[in-house]
Amino acid sequence: MPDAALTNEPKSIVCDGNEAAAWAVSLAKPDMVAVYPITPQSSLVEYVSQFIADGKIDADLMDVEGEHSVMSVLHGACLAGARTYTATCGPGLYYMFEPYVRTPGMRLPIVMSVVTRDGLTPQSVWGGQQDAMMLRETGWIQIYCESVQEVLDSLIMAFRIAEHRDVMLPVNICHDGNYLSYGVTKVFLPEQEMVDDFLGDKDTNWHVALDPDRPMSVDPLTGGEGPGGPSTFVRYRQGHCAGMQNALRVITETHEEWERKFGRCYAPLIEEYRLDDADYAIVTIGSMSGAGKDAVDVAREQGQKVGLIRVKTFRPFPMEALRNTLTKVKAIGVVDRSVSFAWNCGPVFQEIQAALYQLKERIPAISFIGGLAGSDITGEHFARVIEATGNQLAGDMTESPVWLNENE
Amino acid sequence: MGHSHNTIAFHQDKCDGCGECMTVCAGAKSGTADTLHSRLKIVPSIAANDSFELALCRQCGDPKCVLNCPSGSLTKNHKTGVVPWDAEKCVDCLLCTVGCAYGGITYNAAAGHVMKCDMCDGDPACVKSCPTGALEYNRSAEIYNNYGELEDLFVPGLAACQGCNSELLIRHTMRKIGSNAVVATPPGCIAGMGTVGFNGKTGSKIPVFHPLLTNTASMLAGAKRYYNRIGRDVTMVALAGDGGTVDAGFQSLSGAAERGEQMLYICVDNEGYMNTGMQRSGSTSFGSWTSTTPVGETLHGKTQDAKNMPVIMMMHNCEYVATASLAFMDDYYEKLDKALAAAKRGMAYLHVYSPCPTGWRIPSESTNEVCRKAVETNFVTLWEFAPDEGLRFTHSTDDPLPVEEYLNLSGKYRHLDDAQLTHIENSVERKVAFLNGFMLATSDDGAESLAQ
Repeated sequence: MPDAALTNEPKSIVCDGNEAAAWAVSLAKPDMVAVYPITPQSSLVEYVSQFIADGKIDADLMDVEGEHSVMSVLHGACLAGARTYTATCGPGLYYMFEPYVRTPGMRLPIVMSVVTRDGLTPQSVWGGQQDAMMLRETGWIQIYCESVQEVLDSLIMAFRIAEHRDVMLPVNICHDGNYLSYGVTKVFLPEQEMVDDFLGDKDTNWHVALDPDRPMSVDPLTGGEGPGGPSTFVRYRQGHCAGMQNALRVITETHEEWERKFGRCYAPLIEEYRLDDADYAIVTIGSMSGAGKDAVDVAREQGQKVGLIRVKTFRPFPMEALRNTLTKVKAIGVVDRSVSFAWNCGPVFQEIQAALYQLKERIPAISFIGGLAGSDITGEHFARVIEATGNQLAGDMTESPVWLNENE
Repeated sequence: MGHSHNTIAFHQDKCDGCGECMTVCAGAKSGTADTLHSRLKIVPSIAANDSFELALCRQCGDPKCVLNCPSGSLTKNHKTGVVPWDAEKCVDCLLCTVGCAYGGITYNAAAGHVMKCDMCDGDPACVKSCPTGALEYNRSAEIYNNYGELEDLFVPGLAACQGCNSELLIRHTMRKIGSNAVVATPPGCIAGMGTVGFNGKTGSKIPVFHPLLTNTASMLAGAKRYYNRIGRDVTMVALAGDGGTVDAGFQSLSGAAERGEQMLYICVDNEGYMNTGMQRSGSTSFGSWTSTTPVGETLHGKTQDAKNMPVIMMMHNCEYVATASLAFMDDYYEKLDKALAAAKRGMAYLHVYSPCPTGWRIPSESTNEVCRKAVETNFVTLWEFAPDEGLRFTHSTDDPLPVEEYLNLSGKYRHLDDAQLTHIENSVERKVAFLNGFMLATSDDGAESLAQ
């Protein structure tokens, strides 16, 4: 194989999504990485640990006694000025929840991979997005990847998005357990110098710090009936919401800059695939999108005017981008890899219903739930999705939800 | 700022009138065994039979002898506190003896001039000679003298309950630690009384924060690691309650100690969730009334013993572990010094027993008495532990007062029956025996005792 430097081509390696994430961490140069192992994230922290042991990453590695402390030590480090990273999923994420929930309120730009895993219970160690979907109302930014390359690229971009002064919020880069965590492909590695230039100097605690040179009280009791209590609390909430809305712009700009610098183009918020002349579309999120696109190609060959809409940024919810996309079709079918128990449908479906309400004309939609606990969503499954979605145009409605793997 | 000075104290109940102090004083000051030349006098009490009184210079702050002296031979040394007598300037007028109401300066006809105590330059011979301990050299106000001028880094005024001695702890601890520090106060009384502040107003002059109840040690560890990484020496301090330490915060503390994270973790143990409404914690003592171990027809307070947190911390790779009580401030200060030094190497853990006037049902003025009685009855033991030095008691556990004398001070024990009292007595004895065994096995003092 020719030397990348000699051929002037970007350096490439063959790896899975967890190793790609570790490479992204290496390139982003965090000061501190705190880890606790959990399937299917474990190999990611093993790669990061090995990179640190090998000197590829000049970061403090904190092997702490649980995910709760993982997020907590990152809080302390970030408040002292560090750039920080971790990864988790499933029960580990649930255990982390208390400090996790606190992170965005303190506006700490911590970056964390969620190697998505189905939820408890029944016990399951396999892929699914139930864990990540549980985070919807925590105030973190949440971006779902389709490919191993996108895992690497998004993770680097995440630091820039998180530390942007108009945002100052933690970011979850979600990549599907099993499919992306262990799926091996060729991946291009960005040049370190270019990443350094892209990310700039870390900027994590200008607004809130635990620093004797800038003494302040961090997160005192706020609200209640004391003087200025309610208004102070409301300002925190408003600021948080504004940061989330700013993030829509910053995520878009960051992706544009990424394309200019590294030549790889991703839809930052909502990806449209073969949608321009489509009558109807399926909506996907995460790694299933690849199989979904293949299925769309097959259906297109059979004359179906179907396209695909991929939700990449789920938090903040890209309402405007989604609305603009949805106006192009007359029926949709949304495929979720998790469940909204309260609404008896998939959570992405549930939220897209809110977007549909803003359209001038009502269009029909079906909720499909598949890929739970590591089960596959194959081309055949997508063929069923496409067929049922298209049938709505002729008035043949399907009752939601449709459980794609219920007979397997 | 003024200074307070050391004194010679007299315990009348211990004096048997042997006069050894006078013999030694005469020898030390005049080179004779003749007690005529002693500068203190033990004399039979006029007020009570078989007891004695001490005539000795009080080294008054506003000495009448100095005021009366026309020649300047008597002065007050405000640095040492001693009133020295200068023979060169004395005109033997004896006006000084008229001024003194204590018999502290008297005319010695044999010597031909007045005599008075000069405290032997801070090492009084009489005190060392006293066989009964009736004379005691009191090292007083050292904390005030040494630390009084350090900046108070805590808010003036606070929202603590009347009689709570946590304020004492916070102010003293912060003064000692100084401003190059980060202080964590998880939810609890210490945070609740205003340390972190409210609605954007801070309660401290140094960086201070609310961790969660559960992650104090982890947050401090993260900040410390980063400061170490960038080469800044910043002290990390936790001021946590027992709930945030022995219960919900235990895992993060255990992990941080195991990893040798560099911090000073102070647990202020008031035996329950007192800020939240006086509920039971893992540190609540057996038999205690709390709002979740109430006293009724079938239940009579807590049915389990407290978790012995400082002993658990001894087994946790700590650089230093000690218990303390604010009735023994000198002891606390010495331990604070050692703990701060140890926190540069790893985990230092201080467990401070801290009565809660509100939750324990004790009069607000008796907090310190409760603190002291806890130690004097061995309900609380004062000790320190370092891996290389083993365990050492800093207050003797010999001859304790009956534990009832401690229990009777708090309303939370008012309902105790005989069986509960026996349980407490036994558990106090067991805890002391365990610590003694550990002391014998780990320290040089203990090794010597074993050899004898």
